[in-house]
Amino acid sequence: MTQENSTNVVELLNLKMYFPITHGLLRRRVGEIKAVDDVSFSIKKNETLGLVGESGCGKTTTGRCILRLYKPTAGKIMFNSTDISGMNENQLRSVRSSMGAIFQDPYGSLNPRQTARTIIGMPLIIHGMKTKGYDNRVEELFKLVGLDPSMMTRVPHEFSGGQRQRLGIARALACQPELIICDEPVSALDVSIQAQIINLLEELQEKLGLTYLFIAHDLSVVQHISNRVAVMYLGRIIEIANSKELYQNPLHPYTKALLSAIPVPNPVIERKRTRTVLKGEVPSPADPPTGCHFNPRCNIATGDCKTERPQLKDVGNGHMAACFRV
Amino acid sequence: MTPLLSVENLKTYFRTYRGLVKAVDGVSFDINEKEIIGLVGESGCGKSVSMLSILQLISNPPGEIVSGRVMFDGQDLLQYKSKSDAMSAIRGAKIAMIFQEPMTSLNPVLTIGRQLTESLEIHLNMTPQTAQERAIELLRMIGIPDAHNRLDAYPHQFSGGMRQRVMIAIAISCNPKILIADEPTTAVDVTTQAQLLELMQDMVNRFDTSLVIVTHNLGVVARYAERIYVMYSGRIVESGLADDIFLNPRHPYTIGLLKCVPQLGETRQERKLVPIKGLPPNLINMPTNCAFLPRCDRARDICRQQLWPPLELVGGQHYVACFREIMEKP
Amino acid sequence: MTNDANDDTQPVDIAKWSETAPRYSEIKRMISVFVGRPLPVIGLVIIVLLILVAIFAPLLAPDPPNQMEIINKLQQPSSEHWLGTDSLGRDTLSRIIFGSRTSLIIGISVTAISSIIGIVLGLLAAYFGGAIYHIIMRFMDALMAFPMLLLALLVASLLGAGMLNIIIALGIGMIAAPCRLMCGVVMSVKQNDYVLSARAMGMSNLRIMFQEILPNAFPPLLVLMTIGIGAVILAEAGLSFLGIGITPPTATWGGMVNDGYKFIMTNPVLAISPGVAIMLVVFGFNMLGDGLRDALDPKLRGVI
Repeated sequence: MTQENSTNVVELLNLKMYFPITHGLLRRRVGEIKAVDDVSFSIKKNETLGLVGESGCGKTTTGRCILRLYKPTAGKIMFNSTDISGMNENQLRSVRSSMGAIFQDPYGSLNPRQTARTIIGMPLIIHGMKTKGYDNRVEELFKLVGLDPSMMTRVPHEFSGGQRQRLGIARALACQPELIICDEPVSALDVSIQAQIINLLEELQEKLGLTYLFIAHDLSVVQHISNRVAVMYLGRIIEIANSKELYQNPLHPYTKALLSAIPVPNPVIERKRTRTVLKGEVPSPADPPTGCHFNPRCNIATGDCKTERPQLKDVGNGHMAACFRV
Repeated sequence: MTPLLSVENLKTYFRTYRGLVKAVDGVSFDINEKEIIGLVGESGCGKSVSMLSILQLISNPPGEIVSGRVMFDGQDLLQYKSKSDAMSAIRGAKIAMIFQEPMTSLNPVLTIGRQLTESLEIHLNMTPQTAQERAIELLRMIGIPDAHNRLDAYPHQFSGGMRQRVMIAIAISCNPKILIADEPTTAVDVTTQAQLLELMQDMVNRFDTSLVIVTHNLGVVARYAERIYVMYSGRIVESGLADDIFLNPRHPYTIGLLKCVPQLGETRQERKLVPIKGLPPNLINMPTNCAFLPRCDRARDICRQQLWPPLELVGGQHYVACFREIMEKP
Repeated sequence: MTNDANDDTQPVDIAKWSETAPRYSEIKRMISVFVGRPLPVIGLVIIVLLILVAIFAPLLAPDPPNQMEIINKLQQPSSEHWLGTDSLGRDTLSRIIFGSRTSLIIGISVTAISSIIGIVLGLLAAYFGGAIYHIIMRFMDALMAFPMLLLALLVASLLGAGMLNIIIALGIGMIAAPCRLMCGVVMSVKQNDYVLSARAMGMSNLRIMFQEILPNAFPPLLVLMTIGIGAVILAEAGLSFLGIGITPPTATWGGMVNDGYKFIMTNPVLAISPGVAIMLVVFGFNMLGDGLRDALDPKLRGVI
């Protein structure tokens, strides 16, 4: 193992997650949805990798594979240099305490019948850490995410959306994890609250040395929080680059379209921008196009795009794009 | 020029177990002919409720339109009963609405063609034959290929973006004077959002319709809207031309909203986001001072002493409801 | 309420004004929804009276339920026997009062047995899905298709009649409804992110099922159980009426209707009075269930 590798907290090697489509009484397998189709990337310690893409592109599935909520069809998930892709639930126990998860829906991700204290302390209880320091730890977690410990006995519906998301973050931090998978943590929140949560996540990362996988569909939010950004389309990563680089020099035609579709809150700039409106819609992941998945919507596609799958190639500085025309 | 529709001092309250919710509390605005308007605000600010109130689509109980006038074609729409024929003749035909959820806005057991022709037959007294031809034409306009055969398709055979296109087609089919789009792109992806917004702009231009885009996303309206109303806790806090609102915002809430969203291409090293402190107001037991006061970082003594500040002209068509702005007006 | 609507001028003290919603008790809201409707309250009163009558039966009944005065048989209502006497000279009112015990014991124990088994099976089926789901659900389909009467006859002929066997027969026969309801509710509850989050934390399946899912799936079950008690009482009365239920001389309302209907022309009170008792109690449980359903409905949270 080289020095380079040892600093990777997570490394995905050719990860594949196929969901079977079954049909009829005998649950005959009639096809499969290639939700994640040969994805590789790594996240270094203390780094934030952003994962963007539209709904159904497999970004959430990728996150859940790393959390081992799914057992991947193929490929390796290296967590601190150990492959966790084939582990069973017993072997995963210690891994689970060093990973945290924050979910999109601050209403659905907290059990409505538990108090805030129980919700936040739950990971500690599960991992046998309900010892002497438990009450102090829960109080400390409350303060860490900017909540008043006097609200500990409240149940989720007595909190506002932003406060609930803070509870979710506190729960993810309870066992002092190294890696946190943030799955659309701000998209369900009000605009004025999003910035509070983004700032909180950024502060916590600096304070606690956390590593984030930040999954979201909003490219401007992802670029703001991430060091590097990976763009997914129909189960594959089509471009990965430094945040700034991706914005200034997008290479893949899909990334370009995605960037131009994001509205900018400034009418003067907006009226001048040329907007590449993509034709058609995202094809079904059960029946993806052959070759490059983006070829039916691409305006620079040629013959080989329809037959061959472009691999990610490095164009320098760690900027990689999967397009023949680059 | 008299506006096409003019809402005056509209108040819609909800009576709940926890208390009286003043969802819309004295809102006035105008919609001119062939104009695109943005109504911006966070969830619970009353933007949707004020639109639903225009069409009297508020369920009572718990909701009730307490007072106000909605002047349209020289008539006060609030004088009509919610279920009256006069009101039904306005809904869909004169003022049409598109909702956020494309999954539930279409009836799943009727074909797309049936849902398109239905309102044409009811409102425009078309024969089934002409209605069908018109429906095909509409489907072509919204960019649905093979329109003739797609008339027999059911909503579940369409994707989310396609369904929202069909909703636009249905809304525009009777050639309404005003089209209200309530968060039309919240449930769809950004690239689809761009398609839908272009389509809507194209359609209202073609049919000379006024468009109201209700949204929480300031970016969505920046490109299209001519005038913008910003709502906060049931009231309009700032209104004006798009350039006034985006380039020269005066109300601390609008300023905060523009500062707290990350700009495209901006990284955390370049600028830390400036959030608006505190929480969005809960509408129960609202203070009668300025509702933004608990979150405002430039409040004056007068803000604490006086009731809610009125909307005052600060130049051009730019109105602001903020004592600081009103006092320091030259 | 109308006063509040125009109450614009009263300034709220900004220092005391909190940004979060005022705390309110969920229990208090439920109670106010419940007592805000007349029928559930009537239902509750009937059920409470029933329970009191069952507990204090020996104090309330004028005579022991099985005390026969053959000389005074088939008497019309009088000051001595308010509801008359039956063909063996037993006091009808006393038998109705003691019959409430049978009804309540059977109603509660059958519902408890069927609900516990049904809930566990429904939870397992919905949580694990796949083959387990299909096996359990097909078994429930078979159970639902099997006539309750036949099942009771089968149990009675195998184990003999009697209170315990009636409870077993009805208990098995009533599993399907709570099981299917539970299965449906769990299917939707388990979609919630908090279940996903519990799995990501490494919580065991057993704990997820009973700590995260069950409490959130329980409210509709409570409603079904309440209405179920009424249904069980009705079913037991039916079986006793047919003579395959509780063995005489134990006082049961169904058995009393059976005894009395032979004299329906001459002495209608004998059959009608236990019939009215059955009707009132079943009505009471149904109304109570309806009230609970509204009170527990989270969609009404904040609205009422």
